[in-house]
Amino acid sequence: MSFRFRVFVLATMIVGVVLGAVMIVGWSSVQQVEVARLNDRLCIEARRLATQPFRANALARLEADVALKLRLGSAGQLLLRVDAAGGQYPIASAGWRDAPEPDHLNWAAAPQRDAPNPPDDQRLDRPPGPPDRILDTAPNRPPGPPPENHPGESNRERQSKARQPHEEARPEGCALASFRRKGDDWRAARYTEGAARSVLAADLTSSQAELQSAAQRALLWMVPLALLLTAVGAWILASLTTQPVNRLALAMKRMTPQALDQRLPSAGEDREFKALIDDYNTMLERLEVSFHQASRFSADAAHELKTPLTILQGRLELAISRADSCVAPAELTGMLDEVGRLAAITRKLLLLSQADAGQLALHTTPVDVTELLDALVADAHMLITSQTISAAIARGLVACGDSALLRQLLNNLLSNAVRYSLPTGAIRIEGRALPGGVEVVFANPTVPIAAAHRARFFERFFRGDPAHNRTVDGSGLGLSLSRELARAHGGDLTLEPSEAGEVRMRLWLPRRQT
Amino acid sequence: MKLLLVEDEAKIAEFVCAGLAVRGMEVTHCTNGNTGFTRACEGPFDAIVLDIMLPGRDGLSVLKGLRDAGVGTPVVLLTARNELGDRVAGLNLGADDYLAKPFFVEELVARLRAIERRLAGDRQNTVQVGHLKLDRITRQASCDHRGHSRNIELTSREFSLLEYLMRSPGQVFTRSQILEHVWGYDFDPSTNVVDVCVKRIRARIASIDTGSDPAGNASNAGPSPPTPSSIESVRGVGYRFAPAT
Repeated sequence: MSFRFRVFVLATMIVGVVLGAVMIVGWSSVQQVEVARLNDRLCIEARRLATQPFRANALARLEADVALKLRLGSAGQLLLRVDAAGGQYPIASAGWRDAPEPDHLNWAAAPQRDAPNPPDDQRLDRPPGPPDRILDTAPNRPPGPPPENHPGESNRERQSKARQPHEEARPEGCALASFRRKGDDWRAARYTEGAARSVLAADLTSSQAELQSAAQRALLWMVPLALLLTAVGAWILASLTTQPVNRLALAMKRMTPQALDQRLPSAGEDREFKALIDDYNTMLERLEVSFHQASRFSADAAHELKTPLTILQGRLELAISRADSCVAPAELTGMLDEVGRLAAITRKLLLLSQADAGQLALHTTPVDVTELLDALVADAHMLITSQTISAAIARGLVACGDSALLRQLLNNLLSNAVRYSLPTGAIRIEGRALPGGVEVVFANPTVPIAAAHRARFFERFFRGDPAHNRTVDGSGLGLSLSRELARAHGGDLTLEPSEAGEVRMRLWLPRRQT
Repeated sequence: MKLLLVEDEAKIAEFVCAGLAVRGMEVTHCTNGNTGFTRACEGPFDAIVLDIMLPGRDGLSVLKGLRDAGVGTPVVLLTARNELGDRVAGLNLGADDYLAKPFFVEELVARLRAIERRLAGDRQNTVQVGHLKLDRITRQASCDHRGHSRNIELTSREFSLLEYLMRSPGQVFTRSQILEHVWGYDFDPSTNVVDVCVKRIRARIASIDTGSDPAGNASNAGPSPPTPSSIESVRGVGYRFAPAT
């Protein structure tokens, strides 16, 4: 999974979860406020019912009136019952038949609220007596005393004074309870004052249904829009996050493996990426230093080995040519062969270290590859014992290169093919001209080679399966050097895919030096 | 042949001087680039063998100085450090030949002889030992057989090998010396390519001697006793060309 996609998904998820949480918390606090407000209104209305005289036949009107005050949708969402008020007979809404008996409800004293009460409350906080607006319409309204006015008192003082009895009286007088009726949640308030008692209940579910539907209507287009905006934002965020990384990756890819002295520019990057680039450059620097050390080491070692090798070879040569040597000549020539082998390895190491450092000095001229191959194939014919060689080399193949190095390269490949070929194998050499260059393929049958070993063919000092190759001479540097030589010429050497029992080496050399 | 050897490594100089002296060459030895340059300017030499890594003044600088001073003495460079680069630079500066260390003194002798021949104006285009004759220009080998000269078909390698042996009749060459001269230093020394090649040359010469010609026409001269091969194996060492008796 791409980092960009993961950032996108994560950002969307986080915003989505936060959005959901905000909505849930907001909704529940809105509900709480609504319930608290309803509780207050219920208490106020219950108290009014318990303390106000009214006519029994005015029930329907009373219900409608209270429903309006409680801001309920209809009188059906309301139940009221007044047991005794000033010696009058009790009245009760018809709906009480389906509801549990009010006395059996789990009544709890209404909690005190610190928040200032709405104006409704303040009006009712006043001592009982002043008639309510709605009840003003009642025909036998008893004349109430006019609102008391205390001259000299400020409005605020009066208010706080008026609140005092209510807030102390309410826990005693008003109790709250919940019950279920016809699958809906109902909230009930009971007000008791002396012998008078009133119970008022409101349908919570229905009253909240309106709020819910309003919220749903709003959310119906708000949520998808919010999600869309979130997704767009997350995608932009993810793109912004990955942009510098992509830019860095591109810059790193552009660096050629040969030139370790290249550095990435960190100017204008953000602090984090600047640090990353600096770290990368530091790593590159360390790599360059150690690479050059290793390269110089093998170059120095090869050079230092050459003087003693020269002396050794010269003295052996001299000893062999002298008849009076006390050592058997066969012994000396055997030693000379080993010195020759040592010298060949040293030479290859030197060439490899020069190729690694990009310092292979090529003396390039047009080289007749056909002629070179013909001579090498003739040599190979002298070397084979029971194998066969079939060469299909196009005439007039020309590549631009260093003739000595190209000779060594082709010789390496051909001797490899002969050396690792099965005793009865058919070695094939194909040379052809391609647009822009020359292609030479060396194929030989071998013991089956595991893919893991094939992958390591170009490793230095790799000798294949030791069980198979212990008897075969070779330094294990040939293929590695051959590839470096091919690449130094602007070409390449590749191991072509083939069956397990065959090795196909493809050499490509450009006609012109790039 | 009068030679100047400029080589700082005493042990290398020692066996090179010894080897060249055996071949009848008169060698003057210097261990320093500056003295080497002075000596090269002073005395007439037939050739100069110049090491590249030298104290004082390096070989390439000596070579350049000589050529700038108009000294045209042939120079053979001995390279060790950066073989390829030095070779290119050396040849560009006017060196006549180069040898990479480690080298065979025998090979150095062969190169010097080639320079000598070139200076002599290529008068010795043919090499003849006994009844075998080589033409270096046409690269054709021929054999005197009962008064007739008959050509021997040889490949390029076979010709080079035969020429190398015939240049110093009687001298023993090891396989690695032959390999380096004929095939070059990069050829795998563990192969028996020299033996195979010698066997082939012998077979070609023998086919002339026994009278069966390449065209397959049976000679009516009748079977003649096979003459001993000209290339002799020296047990445990290598080969030599039998000197003419």
